[in-house]
Amino acid sequence: MATTLLVGTRKGLFVLTSGDRESWDVSGPLLKGWEVFHAIADSRDGAVYAATNSFVYGGTVHRSEDRGETWTRAEELGLPEDSDLTLEKTWHIRPGRDGEEGRLWLGGAPGVLFRSDDSGRTWEAVDSLIRHETREKWNPGAGGMCCHSIQLDSDDPNRMYVAISAAGTFRSADGGESWTPANSGVAADFFPDNPFPEVGQCVHKLLVHPAKPERLWQQNHCGVYRSDDHGDNWERLEGNGLPSGFGFPIALDPSDPDVAFVIPEEGAENRVTPEGRLGVYRTHDGGQSWELLRTGLPEPAWVAVLREAASFDEEGAYFGTQSGSVFVTSDGGESWTEAATHLPPVLSVEAASWQ
Amino acid sequence: MLAAEVGGQRRFEVDAETVAGALRSLPVSNLVFDERGRLRQLVNVYVDGVDVRDAGGIDRQLEGGEEIRLVAAIAGG
Repeated sequence: MATTLLVGTRKGLFVLTSGDRESWDVSGPLLKGWEVFHAIADSRDGAVYAATNSFVYGGTVHRSEDRGETWTRAEELGLPEDSDLTLEKTWHIRPGRDGEEGRLWLGGAPGVLFRSDDSGRTWEAVDSLIRHETREKWNPGAGGMCCHSIQLDSDDPNRMYVAISAAGTFRSADGGESWTPANSGVAADFFPDNPFPEVGQCVHKLLVHPAKPERLWQQNHCGVYRSDDHGDNWERLEGNGLPSGFGFPIALDPSDPDVAFVIPEEGAENRVTPEGRLGVYRTHDGGQSWELLRTGLPEPAWVAVLREAASFDEEGAYFGTQSGSVFVTSDGGESWTEAATHLPPVLSVEAASWQ
Repeated sequence: MLAAEVGGQRRFEVDAETVAGALRSLPVSNLVFDERGRLRQLVNVYVDGVDVRDAGGIDRQLEGGEEIRLVAAIAGG
């Protein structure tokens, strides 16, 4: 089966295809002029959604029913006037569950979530998050106060999560009607007087394991964490092999909930691969130990991988760099193939489940 | 970019009483205006070659036959 990757960049959307996962065709750019923060194919109907931003025309969402040949744009997307907030950027799109026809979720800045029930034509802001009682304690990270992670529990149709930088992780047990902070044990070292606050953590990426939904992973500004109780408690994991706890993306193995991949950076004040080496670090034991994987990755290399620029599916894992390369593994990370190079800075990578 | 949003069409003929009304009738109006209905800061509007911000603003009345041009402002370095 052919593999298709949707690669969002600073200069439009590129589509990578391969029949053997070794040689790749690159097409694009689509959505020229738009910064594609995230693009994803909806496995329910094959439609492609892109969170698109322009410094002239603002943030929006584009949808294609023909694999990028033509696009339509959201008609209604904004925040309530009485919220005193205005939409800054669109960041992340999460299609709803099977059976939730037309439903999608959209995360954006400043710390906002939208729901669509008409396949992305109109979007309604989720009021419970806009008016969350802790909002005054939230702060923007370097990329703005972005809602960059939206995760749906595969067992419970009402349980979902969002992660906002720098507000932390929030869990809903009622389909988004209300939200509970889920940051216990997650450090906010930049608050030396109170390094474990209820909210304000700078989570960089949050994932729920698709086959074990009580298990959550996050790459944070202040470490790598795992939770085994739906985010009630978190364990910090970056000892035993990781050169740094700082990084942005995290990827999983859908067949093994003890496996995770991270791509550390030297630190918050020097956001580049440590020791001039691009390395993916993998754990096989739930984060108790980590091993460096670098076969097929360039060295020396001083690069950075953004929070949306890594993903995974049943076939393997994928990531793209700010220097415009995309790497693919099909053997659990043991070796990597450079699927594309010299693209614009890569903002996001997703595999499309097209037949 | 605006033309690409409407299949490459670059010219529209519209009936409107004001410049704002003409812009709001375009299929790209939600790119030209923000969610509060304000003209985006980096979108320049020219009416018969004159920047509308210097000539009555976007609520300026139209008489008919004017040519309105939308131009993305020069920004950045």
